[in-house]
Amino acid sequence: MTLDLETIVLLITISAVTLLIMTLMELRKQPKKPEYETIELLECIQCRYRLERPFEPGDFISMYKGKCPKCGSPLRIKAIYNVEKSFKHP
Amino acid sequence: MAETDWTTLFMQIFWIIFFVMILTGANQKIQMKLWSIDIRNKLRVIKRYIDEDRHKIENYLRNLGVETPQFLIHRITNYFIIDPVDKEPTDIIKRMDHLIRIEERGIRNIVKEYVPNIGNYERSLLESSLSILGTLNQLYKTVQHYLLVSEKENNWILLMQLELIMPQVMRIAEMYHEALDPFLTGKPIGDSIGPYIAYRLIESGEIISRKVIEETSITEVRLDNRRVYVIKAEGPGSNVGKPGKVLAQLIEELKGNVDLVITVDAALKLEGEKLGEIAEGVGAAIGDPGPEKIAIERATAKYNIPLHAVVVKIGLEDAINTMKKEIYEACERAYEYIRKLLVELTKPNATIIVAGIGNTIGVSG
Repeated sequence: MTLDLETIVLLITISAVTLLIMTLMELRKQPKKPEYETIELLECIQCRYRLERPFEPGDFISMYKGKCPKCGSPLRIKAIYNVEKSFKHP
Repeated sequence: MAETDWTTLFMQIFWIIFFVMILTGANQKIQMKLWSIDIRNKLRVIKRYIDEDRHKIENYLRNLGVETPQFLIHRITNYFIIDPVDKEPTDIIKRMDHLIRIEERGIRNIVKEYVPNIGNYERSLLESSLSILGTLNQLYKTVQHYLLVSEKENNWILLMQLELIMPQVMRIAEMYHEALDPFLTGKPIGDSIGPYIAYRLIESGEIISRKVIEETSITEVRLDNRRVYVIKAEGPGSNVGKPGKVLAQLIEELKGNVDLVITVDAALKLEGEKLGEIAEGVGAAIGDPGPEKIAIERATAKYNIPLHAVVVKIGLEDAINTMKKEIYEACERAYEYIRKLLVELTKPNATIIVAGIGNTIGVSG
């Protein structure tokens, strides 16, 4: 069997395009790194009412911060953690 | 004129090129060049991380009133510690401990020299941030060294090894780069699991006494009808304290009258293991170079005190990055688990020591 130049060039081009598509598909398959936001969980020392607020630099667990919207007692930071940014909280 | 047989011509050219490349090693040269380009691209990414982090630390220092932060950054990021001689292991722990203490004091004194009026909290954050930058800098210099050596000596095996470990190197570089934010702002990290659980025990019990030795707090609480001494690094700054030495000292003070010692720490999970899994075992759960761990083992062995360990499994990237919600929830589960263990392993009025091991950043007490 003999092949002409045009067929060889065509075969090489098809192979190159196939490889390119496969590489692109592989790249798209890689999972995107999730983005996080830091939240602090505040708890009322009296009525145990809890609420979440964005973290502010310098805050730490056990720090008193603000008043309880329900009973007016001091709120204390119970936890500080990262949560994945979701579409619910743009 | 005869018609050209393009297939034969193409195959002939292909085989000639193939054999020439095999015989002259040109294929290896091409492969080396490709690896080299890839490593250089990755090195550029690490350099970008270093520049960004340096810029952030410079701004932090300027806010603290340092006019030329570059000198302090250069001095601390190039600070080193030489490992003690291990061919003669006699008193190696003592020598290692001595060197670690000198290093800590040395860095503290340098920071104080440049930022004299800094508070303990800000100082601890700054020291840890500079340490992160130093690690990234060292990583960059090491990779660059092996790249240049392999190119200079045409050492394709060295270059290949470097190329193969680059994904792991990049993972570590990214992890350190992302760790700067919690250390500059004081957020709890994955390694804060131990101190957080210790804090929860203190919070739940009736506090009898509290003292601080070597940046490590000992809080005596009455909990579940037992006397519990809770040991943790003093927070909320970036601090790991000296839990081993302090625990050993406490056992001596109590003349060995301790019914149970529990160490709580974060442990690296294996690939495939679930994040936040709790495991219980025996021994000292502490990841220091040696002096703290051996102090716990020696003290408990001397008085025949049961030494238990509870660990929460986390990933490598979680250890020095902001604590995830899943890890916080695991901490709460581990806290309940330890409360159960205290009741299960001891009788009422028993004396127990619980040591929360790890960096207490963002966790007070």
